[in-house]
Amino acid sequence: MAELVKLTIDGHEVSVPKGTTILEAAKQIDTLVPHYCYHPGLSSPAMCRLCLVEVEGAPKPLPSCVTTVTEGQVVKTQSEEALGHRKGVLEFYLVNHPLDCPICDMSGECDLQDYVHLEGRKHGRGIEPKRVFGRDDFGGDVLFYGDRCVMCTRCVRFMNEVEQDECLTVVERGNRSVIDTFFDEGLEGTHWHGNVVDICPVGALVSKDFLYKARAWDLDHTPSVCASCSQGCNVLLHTRDNLVHRVKPRENLDVNAWWMCDHGRLDYEWMNVGDRLEAPLVRGNEGTRTAKSWKDALADLLERASALDDKSVRAVASARASNEDLGALAELVGAFGGGETVFRSPRAEEEIVLKGFPTLARRTDLAPNVKGAGLLGMKRVGADDATGGLESVAGHSGIVVVLGDALADQPEDFGSKAGLYIYLGTHDSAAAQAAHVVLPITTHAEQEGTFTNHEGRVQRFWPALEAPGMARPAWLILGALDAELTGEAGPQTAAEAFAELSEAIPALGGLTYEDLGTRGAVAGTKGAVVGTQGAPAGAAAQAARG
Amino acid sequence: MSISVKVMQRPEPETTSYLRAALSGMALTFRHMINPVKVTQQYPEEQTQLSPRWRGTHVMEMHADGRPKCVACGLCPTVCPANCIRLVGGEDDQGNRYPIVYEIDEFRCIFCGMCQEVCPVEAIHVGQHFENAEYTRDRFVYDLDRLMEQDHPSTNLWDPSDPTGE
Ligand code: SF4
Ligand code: SF4
Ligand code: SF4
Ligand code: SF4
Repeated sequence: MAELVKLTIDGHEVSVPKGTTILEAAKQIDTLVPHYCYHPGLSSPAMCRLCLVEVEGAPKPLPSCVTTVTEGQVVKTQSEEALGHRKGVLEFYLVNHPLDCPICDMSGECDLQDYVHLEGRKHGRGIEPKRVFGRDDFGGDVLFYGDRCVMCTRCVRFMNEVEQDECLTVVERGNRSVIDTFFDEGLEGTHWHGNVVDICPVGALVSKDFLYKARAWDLDHTPSVCASCSQGCNVLLHTRDNLVHRVKPRENLDVNAWWMCDHGRLDYEWMNVGDRLEAPLVRGNEGTRTAKSWKDALADLLERASALDDKSVRAVASARASNEDLGALAELVGAFGGGETVFRSPRAEEEIVLKGFPTLARRTDLAPNVKGAGLLGMKRVGADDATGGLESVAGHSGIVVVLGDALADQPEDFGSKAGLYIYLGTHDSAAAQAAHVVLPITTHAEQEGTFTNHEGRVQRFWPALEAPGMARPAWLILGALDAELTGEAGPQTAAEAFAELSEAIPALGGLTYEDLGTRGAVAGTKGAVVGTQGAPAGAAAQAARG
Repeated sequence: MSISVKVMQRPEPETTSYLRAALSGMALTFRHMINPVKVTQQYPEEQTQLSPRWRGTHVMEMHADGRPKCVACGLCPTVCPANCIRLVGGEDDQGNRYPIVYEIDEFRCIFCGMCQEVCPVEAIHVGQHFENAEYTRDRFVYDLDRLMEQDHPSTNLWDPSDPTGE
């Protein structure tokens, strides 16, 4: 444990590790000193001059983002002097600011709006004309509105220090200074540039994908886990009208800090795709499908299963399914008569490492739960583009179960030799035509559950969207079937499903949802203190602000 | 304070004649026949003069080139207490923010005028108008084109010469 330093901030005694800045220390008493250039994940140039606070004994106000605490220091963040200095600085920020909040995408989550409302002047005094830059395409997903920029250089420092690909710089001087790319080389082709939109405190850098789509205050935020690779970046799904509108990283210093890659950030449209399976479909003897209630469909399925001689199972799972879903599938396969479960998952050629935070990379496995499927003894088959490898399943004569794999590359007669073919999916598929029962399941954005990332960290996600029609989480469906077959009670909540699974799988070591919390825990480390949670102090409060 | 009960003195039914009351009523009627006092307005031949602050059917103001003034800022759907404005923003061919969908459900609207008050570009207005009968309910959801077509005068929520009301 680092040496502790005691100081007084706004009359409150605070003790923080030596070397902490005043700004971070103030977060402990829930005081956020306004600031632009400071970001916990970047260096601190102390150039925005907004975080000035009064320190007793100091001859002039000090920038709290770079002033480290000293023993017995008395800091006043809300004194008349401190507020007066910040008010003055804020007025300078508005000298050239267009204040076009009505058409600015940042409106509602803008640090300039917030701070001016909090501490700025009520009325502007400027009468001079403002300088105008217009907007510029920075390439990739980023648009730049130069007039709104507050010259904090967070974006420049992100590209230099974290992505370590110097694409942005400050050109010109004085009030004409502006952020720019180098000639025609924009951000196109870099893999982490979406983060500069997140860290830009104002609406100067905005996402083309999100441009004008929704208002910040209309969006609901649901904590989730990125499902686009096995890194398992913690994210927030921003939803409105039951659609995901954008994905933002959620701070977790053990996994992704404040960042996420562009591949995952822009890979959300699939959660909004319509034309979903909405009711269980049961195939009659003539081959026509009828929509049935869950009760009838499952009864029909069990009846068919009990009439079978060959009850060996070949199952196809998906590495996009949650641990709970996969665990319930494994249980059901066991309850039927045992068999083999395989899964296919796409693989990229190389990892894309974030150089300034090397434990974060877009991993080669492009599905979130490859590790979880592996822990459950499921075997990976097929090529790197997730095709092929299902020969032994396609012609199996016992029971065939497909969970979450759309079978896009498989022929229409897939599973036609099976005594019972159960297809659980979100969308119908040509290869599901021979299925005796088609059961509608939810995506990870519509259910509660966990993924196990590449290093074995089990992380929870929460439902952000409403499930269509009668679609249900796969663990609930498979658990109900398993309960019928074995006579034991099935899980009623995702927490129960996970607790059962974690008892059955020694690698998970008895973890529960409470152990996982919002940040996850590495499988097999229950009771141990893992990771760097909580440091640097108060980083969570900052992350919430982006 | 104690509660007291007042006992009303009512005439006994058998002893009362209504003849006098009926006659005075008739007298009034005949007086009006001879000497009419005009209070009835002959609507619709005669139109009512609406107050400049009358809040009725909305009007969307337009630029000279026919584009709506609305910049899809999202403030009116946010402030609307009846939650009757539906807005989907987007980018037009000149790169401006504009409403792809802008609909007001005039049935749900309570004509509070807050949308007009909040609009930063003076685009949406409530109007001096009330005649909006229709044959079907769905016609009461006014889309952007219909709001721009409205040709009645828009409301003055405050006196232009004294905007702060002092
Ligand atoms: S950057 Fe902030 S203050 Fe500036 S126009 Fe956008 S929302 Fe308004
Ligand atoms: S574009 Fe945004 S992040 Fe970059 S310097 Fe300007 S305000 Fe800061
Ligand atoms: S007048 Fe009031 S209720 Fe009607 S649309 Fe405007 S804000 Fe909504
Ligand atoms: S307040 Fe005005 S500009 Fe904003 S969405 Fe409504 S009509 Fe459009």
